[in-house]
Amino acid sequence: MVLTLLLLVPALTGVVLLAVARTDRAERRGSTHAVALAGSAVTLVLTVVAAVARPGVDLRWVPTLGVRWHLAVDGISVPLLLLTAALTVVVVVHSRGREPARDVPGERSAATFYACILLVETGALATFLARDAIVFFVAFEVVLVPMWVLIGRFGDQHAAEQARADAAGRFVLFTVLGSTLMLLGILLVVTRTGTSDLVALATARGAGLDHATQVAAAVLLVGGLGIKIPLWPAHSWLPPAHTVAPTAGSVLLAAVLLKMGTYGIVRVVIPVVPDGFTAVSPYLALVGAVATVWGGLACLVERDLKRLVAYSSVAHMGFVALGLASGTWTGLQAALFGNIAHGVVSALLFLVVGGLKERWGSADLQVARAALRDVSPRLGWSLVVGFAAALGLPGLIGFWGELLALYAAWQPAGDRPVGVFRAAVVVALLGLGLAAAYALRVLRLVWVGGSGERWVTPPQVGPARDARGREWAVVALLVAATVAGGVLPRPLMAATADDARTTVGEAGVAGVGGGGR
Amino acid sequence: MTTVDWGLLLPVLAPVLGAVIVLVVDIAMPRVVLGHYVVAGISLVLAAAATVLTLRPPVGDTRASLCLPGTGEQARTCFYAVTGVGAGLQLAALLAAAVTLLLAAPLEPKDEHDRTPVTVSLLLAATAGAVGVVGARDLGSWLVTLELATLPVIALAALPGTRRALAGAVQLLTTSLVSFAVLALAAACWYAATGTPRLTADAVLGVSGTPQKGLLALAVVLVLAGIGFKLSLVPFHAWTPTTYAGAPLPIAVFLAGVSKIAALGALLVVVTALSSLGKAALVTTAVVAVASMTLGNLVALRQDDVVRLLAWSTVAQAGWVVVPLVSVSALGVRASASYLLTYVVSTLAAFSVVAVVVRGSGGRSGYRLTAYDGLVRRHPLLGGVLALALTTLAGLPPGIVGVVAKVVALRPVIAEGWWVIAVVAALNAVLGVAVYLRWFRVLLARPDASQAPAAVPAVPLHRVAVVVTGGVLVALSVQPQLLLGLLG
Repeated sequence: MVLTLLLLVPALTGVVLLAVARTDRAERRGSTHAVALAGSAVTLVLTVVAAVARPGVDLRWVPTLGVRWHLAVDGISVPLLLLTAALTVVVVVHSRGREPARDVPGERSAATFYACILLVETGALATFLARDAIVFFVAFEVVLVPMWVLIGRFGDQHAAEQARADAAGRFVLFTVLGSTLMLLGILLVVTRTGTSDLVALATARGAGLDHATQVAAAVLLVGGLGIKIPLWPAHSWLPPAHTVAPTAGSVLLAAVLLKMGTYGIVRVVIPVVPDGFTAVSPYLALVGAVATVWGGLACLVERDLKRLVAYSSVAHMGFVALGLASGTWTGLQAALFGNIAHGVVSALLFLVVGGLKERWGSADLQVARAALRDVSPRLGWSLVVGFAAALGLPGLIGFWGELLALYAAWQPAGDRPVGVFRAAVVVALLGLGLAAAYALRVLRLVWVGGSGERWVTPPQVGPARDARGREWAVVALLVAATVAGGVLPRPLMAATADDARTTVGEAGVAGVGGGGR
Repeated sequence: MTTVDWGLLLPVLAPVLGAVIVLVVDIAMPRVVLGHYVVAGISLVLAAAATVLTLRPPVGDTRASLCLPGTGEQARTCFYAVTGVGAGLQLAALLAAAVTLLLAAPLEPKDEHDRTPVTVSLLLAATAGAVGVVGARDLGSWLVTLELATLPVIALAALPGTRRALAGAVQLLTTSLVSFAVLALAAACWYAATGTPRLTADAVLGVSGTPQKGLLALAVVLVLAGIGFKLSLVPFHAWTPTTYAGAPLPIAVFLAGVSKIAALGALLVVVTALSSLGKAALVTTAVVAVASMTLGNLVALRQDDVVRLLAWSTVAQAGWVVVPLVSVSALGVRASASYLLTYVVSTLAAFSVVAVVVRGSGGRSGYRLTAYDGLVRRHPLLGGVLALALTTLAGLPPGIVGVVAKVVALRPVIAEGWWVIAVVAALNAVLGVAVYLRWFRVLLARPDASQAPAAVPAVPLHRVAVVVTGGVLVALSVQPQLLLGLLG
């Protein structure tokens, strides 16, 4: 019951905001914000309760299709659930005072804005809780429309209406293509095995599915989820979406929505069609490795800071894919850790970069500006920490996921071609080098000020204020999480350890790289 | 001695009776307008109640009427039979007709050119045909009821007498005649192949392995073509946009709702009789389905007139309706019917909102996409219901029933291993999202302050239609089983 409540609270808060709490007075006096904050806080509390008590619910939903309302919590979903609920609170707190401006008197858009944030949260939580493949698919789709509204309607007001519509449309269409391909894969598994229960399917470990079916299902599922993650070369929707999205939307998109793709691979592919995934994994590893280099190269030349962070996400998800592909327990642990790490780091970066964009009026790196350390040292330091974590500096949260992913891929599970994986590791190391290069490029430009030769006449901007109050609180919180995750990786690793072991099964644990931690 | 189960026949007889009473009342008391709607409403409710009784458990059982006495071991011959799926379709047709009636009712003071009794009685007659064809089990009544479901609509489409209306009606007439000719030929082939006019499984049983097999396959392909006209499947779709746009709005609603149910009901009568469609018919179904989806979506993307947009979306959705029939099984039949019902509910909801907006804006400007600028803000109820209907058609949450319908429609395709079709359908799901989100985006747009539309003076009955269809969509999205369970 707790789990259904966990989904109902944000969903109903969203509906209430859409339908009831939209008087002009409510928005002026902040009660709209209060409702949203209360809804997200209660959700966070319920998530913590669910994480501790590990309840489950299993009811009939659509008997004709054999679909059950089956929700459960395990070690793999707990960190993602907590991340989602916590970041929603962060985003709601941060958005106070940054609600979309009204152009028409009496226009009530703040309620819609917060409602969309809470509905995105509902969809993400439902995805991480679902234990029925069809429910998983439906939950996967729930985030689309609210996110589309966030990008298209509440996006960057400096961008043209058409640009916003294009970015939002591209996001939805790519994601729908991905999820429909995933649906084909799910239906293939469901029609051949006769059940859509993910627990039963994971226990069966592909029993009753011949090799060809498994490979076909794995191709469809990984292909579909790969668009969502996004994996190179299906990543082209991500940078425009991030460029246009409001800060809150960018944070949720990077930190939560992208995780739904990798989580899908862990939940629906690896245990359900293990043989199929083994066949697909060399390609996944190569694609992941290419993504690290591709994302890094794009970051080296990108002028827009938000797009740059988006491309760095592509690179980071490449490392996660590499870890997943290795098929070992270590690799899966690395991927799950990398998932959370990227969630925290990208949330931090998007909050800081969004804040800078607010102050600068644009996020163009070629416009020369006063050095951040002089103008707004708090934001500057946070940016340094964020990019340091992104380049995988030891002692910060980004380090463990990437290092372990490379280590696991160097010694993949026994049934995988070692040569291909080692080649992928070599390529990914190059990507790691590029990450250092682009991180330093950004830090030099921003921390020290514009570079001498390419100065563009700076537009007249007012003195940039440093982060204060709410903004500084949430940024500081994420900086603390980044450092804490880097210094103390054990609790997070331990949370996922057991369930990761059952997910990879015998082959991964007993394989060459299985014993290491 | 024939046995007749009158209760089973009531859903067909009640609308017919209603149509007659309306005409009689009009002769006796020519000034009563409201009375016609009351009579029609009562007859539809009565018929719907009778179908609900048919739906009682055990669901899935076939109930039959108009049976000849069986002799010895020979099975009884029945000329009317309703399966679980059939009863679901009948109920949906009756409810769709009721919504159409709500939208057709301006209830204005009567003038000399009032055509209320004609409209109401023709609507009831066509509804009776739609309900009847679902249960028809012999070629004669199958053809007659199917045409009864079509011909009154042509008259209704032509009734305004404007050039646009006549153009649409003539196109519908021509199409219907061709369709009838094709279906008559199909009936002839069926009779020649099986030697019996009965549309039942045991009639087909004797044909397998005989030279008549080819003739039967031809009959099935011809049935597909003939029904294709009525379902607006490519390449028989050309009449749809013209007729929808030319006919009065309630008639377009009828064509999009009740007529489609009649057409699929007729098709399912034939499909359930067959144990296999034969390679030719299967490939035809698959190709036609995919072509409809693709062409319908592509053209719908470029429409700026909402009724034309809905017309092309009908073409696209018709493809989704027949695509599950590549699996000739109970699974395929149920999937097809479920998808159709989802489509009908959401299209009725969308059309109800369009009816209110058209009336509020006065004249043809309500048909333009720009008339919906910022509808969600101007009028949250209308905007909300339309948004829900569009997301259902697109198969996106919050229209969860649309998502489930997509799952249901694709399942038989995957089960039978039609990979190419499945992948093209997936691509079309994306195209469909683009089509409906284009309209959705308009709903969210900032309303242009300069041309602030006047308050919408809706007819109360139209609002009832909006609320009812919207409520049904919400209920189905929370619990899709309500719809899927209806079909047994």
